[in-house]
Amino acid sequence: MALTITNLTKHYNSQKTALTDCSITINKGVLGLLGPNGAGKSTLMKIIATISQPSAGALFLDGIDIVKKPDSIRKVLGYLPQDFGVYPNLNAYEFLAYIAAMKGVGGKGLHKRIELLLEGVNLTADAKRPIGSYSGGMKQRIGIAQALLNDPKVLIFDEPTVGLDPEERMRFRQLISNLAHDCIIILSSHIVSDIETIADEVAIMQDGKLLSHAPQHEIIKQADGRIFEVLLDNSVLNSFKNQYHVIDTARQLDQIKVRYIATNGNVAASSTSVTATLEDAYLFLTQNKG
Amino acid sequence: MSYIYNIIKADYLQRTRSYSFLITLAVTVFMAYSFVPPDTASYTTLSAAGYKGVCNSAWVGYVSGIMTTIMLSFYGFLLVNSGIKKDIDTEVGLIIATTPISNFKYLLSKQLSNYLVLLTIVGITFTVSIIVFFIRGSAYPFVLSNFIFPYLFFAIPALFVVASLAIVGEVFLPKRNILQFVLYFFLCGICMSSINKSGAQTNGVFDPFGLSLITKSITNYINIHFHESLNSVSFGFIFNGHKAYKPFVWEGINWTAAFIWSRLIWMCFGLGMVYVSSLFFHRFDFKQAAKAGGNRNQLIPTKREQPSHQFSRLDRETMPPLVVNFGIYPFIKTELLLLIRQGNKLIWWVNGALWLAMFIAPFGIAYSYLLPILLFLQVTRWSELVTKERTNRIHYFAYAAYKPLQRMLPSQILAAVILAIGLSFPVIIRAAIASDVYAIINIMNGTLLIILLAVTSGILSGGKKLFEVFFFLLTYAVINKVPATDYLGSIPQQNVTVFMLTVLTVNVVLITISFIARKYQIRNL
Repeated sequence: MALTITNLTKHYNSQKTALTDCSITINKGVLGLLGPNGAGKSTLMKIIATISQPSAGALFLDGIDIVKKPDSIRKVLGYLPQDFGVYPNLNAYEFLAYIAAMKGVGGKGLHKRIELLLEGVNLTADAKRPIGSYSGGMKQRIGIAQALLNDPKVLIFDEPTVGLDPEERMRFRQLISNLAHDCIIILSSHIVSDIETIADEVAIMQDGKLLSHAPQHEIIKQADGRIFEVLLDNSVLNSFKNQYHVIDTARQLDQIKVRYIATNGNVAASSTSVTATLEDAYLFLTQNKG
Repeated sequence: MSYIYNIIKADYLQRTRSYSFLITLAVTVFMAYSFVPPDTASYTTLSAAGYKGVCNSAWVGYVSGIMTTIMLSFYGFLLVNSGIKKDIDTEVGLIIATTPISNFKYLLSKQLSNYLVLLTIVGITFTVSIIVFFIRGSAYPFVLSNFIFPYLFFAIPALFVVASLAIVGEVFLPKRNILQFVLYFFLCGICMSSINKSGAQTNGVFDPFGLSLITKSITNYINIHFHESLNSVSFGFIFNGHKAYKPFVWEGINWTAAFIWSRLIWMCFGLGMVYVSSLFFHRFDFKQAAKAGGNRNQLIPTKREQPSHQFSRLDRETMPPLVVNFGIYPFIKTELLLLIRQGNKLIWWVNGALWLAMFIAPFGIAYSYLLPILLFLQVTRWSELVTKERTNRIHYFAYAAYKPLQRMLPSQILAAVILAIGLSFPVIIRAAIASDVYAIINIMNGTLLIILLAVTSGILSGGKKLFEVFFFLLTYAVINKVPATDYLGSIPQQNVTVFMLTVLTVNVVLITISFIARKYQIRNL
């Protein structure tokens, strides 16, 4: 199974372009989408989810044009939008039954399927309560459950870990890993560590453009040898920031440990080279090409 | 006070920058034009037992001012009674609750914003009334004061009270829209019935509309000049064919200081109501509100979430085999469930009582009055039919599902039709017993029309208000036997087939528009 995106462009109006000439092929496994706000991640996901149409370009799922035939992907799609809601007067079971009706999932096994999903996202005990009374994390878990209702072959998660506590986040990551072997999962998150843990491939976007798309280790490789740490006095920190792109600072006794990107071989004295992480690579790419 | 001004401004702009408000203004222009009918019209808006004023400044200005006051007092409440609800729905209320603004100032800003919305509409009817005067080609001179004073002393104070009552309704009956409407219209009915009674002795001081002063002036004039013994005047759209009226030259009323003071006192009363409401305002603390309302289950989690270690164990092997069912029956079932659960449960007691009454009451009463009222009581159910996806932000799921246009929209319409027919059942069964096939077809056609109006206006405007206001006006007109608005066909028609075909054609047009518009929305989020 492969999702092929070619030269995708989306204009909202003459002033605003959300996506510019994006081309990417997504195979089975987890693709992590990284990018600052307004990079075009949600727009790309909406177009794949068929709820927004591209201004130009094409999308093919196993050779079928999903812009022209949106129902072909809808049958196998699980989508968790960034800003979704629920019907507050329905309980979790009723809500999932409603979404199942939308997705065309039925039969005698539906009841059992919903029960297992509710159990899987730890909502069995609350399944009979109106969803209006749920906390943010519980609603997010209902959202995850609905995305999985139809055994999707293409799963789109837009900021799925928002509202989840650290333990839930960890379990969500395990869930995605379990599902990844037989479907395409596209996941966007501002939390780079989430992507780092579960994504096989990473795509970095900025200003509607695809900056880089590669397996995670190759993305990280692009920042190798450019990430350094140095101990500085607090008094020189500001002038240092003017010269280098500081990624992180940490207080150490009376000094500050500064992690920074050295471009064009411009390395500060007494610096130590450190192993790059995905976050470093992301910041390096977006800073350099932005 | 500058921040109150900013709140009012933002709130006002938020409400008026919408297609539904634009459509409301368009409807207002049309209605304002119809407030002063020409001599050839088959209706009148101010009737005094066969007498009608000549088309001078006083008659056009006063009739227009009176009609604006009455009509806007009725539907203006529906138009503005969701200012606080909007803050709850958008969760802006939670931010407001953490600011230093006092309850009174917040509610006052909402009340003034309500008032501004109503005044915008008043401004339009005022302008149209002047245009109408010149369009009618009156031989009498134009006197501006005859246009300004009725608006200034009738509409402006009365609508201040309406804006305040909308706040009172939202504070004391939150999430009970239908109950608010019912109580408000009951109150309006009482006030309207007092117009012809209280004026004679009190100069209209105790009349919130102030219209008893007009009643008194017109009846006195006719009684003195034509030796009649009238004691009442009728307001509203009154259809009577092309009845000939005896003309009289009426020059307006003399404004007394007592009356003007009474208007100020009514406005102070409105302000007082806002103040009292502020003492009971929940300030978006729903835990507190739920305790007070005994409705805790809806608002606060009853149980603490327990951590789970099962999240990751969810895998496809444990799932029952996927059975595909693209039928719409499960959809209809859930839509029906959502329709039934919508709103306050108490309304179902009222529905039940009306439903039973339609079996017992004379057929004409059941068909012409009880059925339109029962259908109107479901106004929020119909208005939410296709807007709830967006309101609850479910549309992302709905539009990304399989064949949303072919499956979801028909299910919603069918669920609403099932409910509407269920509600109309007593009248339908009685018509069937009487072998009145036309009545059965007209009821089916009429209820479908209401549903399709809700669907089309909801899809086009993206909100509920437009339909709610329109349906209120329609119900008001139906109960007042305005022939052109008789969507249920309860008034005997000269040509029943033409009537049925007309409604059917409108239904086909509406359903086509709604499908085309929804098709566009599905792919353009």
